[in-house]
Amino acid sequence: MNEETYLKERVGKENPFRVPDGYFDTLASQVMARIDAEAQPQKKAKVISMHRVFYYAAAAVCALFVCATVYLSFNKESEAVEQQNMAVAEQPADNYFDEAADYMMLDNQAIYACLASDY
Amino acid sequence: MYTDEELTGLLQNPKTQRKAFEALVCQYGEQLYWVIRRMVLTHEDANDVLQNTYLKAWNGLSTFHGDAKLSTWLSRIAINESVDFLRRQKTHGALSCDEDLSVANSLMADNYFDGDETQALLQQAVASLPDVQRTVFQLRYFEDMKYSEMSQVLKTSEGSLKASYHIAVKKISEFFKSRD
Repeated sequence: MNEETYLKERVGKENPFRVPDGYFDTLASQVMARIDAEAQPQKKAKVISMHRVFYYAAAAVCALFVCATVYLSFNKESEAVEQQNMAVAEQPADNYFDEAADYMMLDNQAIYACLASDY
Repeated sequence: MYTDEELTGLLQNPKTQRKAFEALVCQYGEQLYWVIRRMVLTHEDANDVLQNTYLKAWNGLSTFHGDAKLSTWLSRIAINESVDFLRRQKTHGALSCDEDLSVANSLMADNYFDGDETQALLQQAVASLPDVQRTVFQLRYFEDMKYSEMSQVLKTSEGSLKASYHIAVKKISEFFKSRD
């Protein structure tokens, strides 16, 4: 006997599976609802990402502004500091000369005479 | 009921696409359900796979150009989804076909299985086959699908399909003969 014939006689071809009542009547609406549900998250994601783009752009502009302000104010400070340093650097030299003159108990006339004799 | 040509035209027009797709679900839903149900066995799983099948079909509408029948295109997606589902089940260790009679026992306890023990054993034997033989056996034995159509659905030569079917029939026959 052909094996396929044996099987058909031994076990048959009946469909033993059952379906819940009304399943196929609601299938189309279930499928379309699923399609709509899958489509929605993509739309939401687009809206969020646009907001985020603006947020990041604004944050970048602010950061740039702050950096520029800090940089410029730092430059002014450093110029002022340099000027102060130069002024301070000049003072000690003058003070030192006067102290030296006092130590040697020389007055100005004596200092001029001493300088003139060298030439 | 629409012809394939009418439905294909309506599906390709954005204005009529949605309504046409609903008609597609109504027209082919039951046919696809049974192809899937015989593979995955439970109603819950068959419903999930069927929903996934239609979702894939919706997302892939632009790839369908009417060069095959709508039923062929949909059946191909349904069978691929069913096979993927079964492979994931095996990976997660659920419903292992290596265990003796686990499939038959699960079916006998299933409220949506009305078969007797013999029919449950038949499903056990089919579930133990490799994917291709299992698919071919179900399409040929239960659906009486012609090899020419099956060749288009599974994109396999008719000769290979016939060979797979005969091997499947032999294995299942031996399963029952060993129990007689």
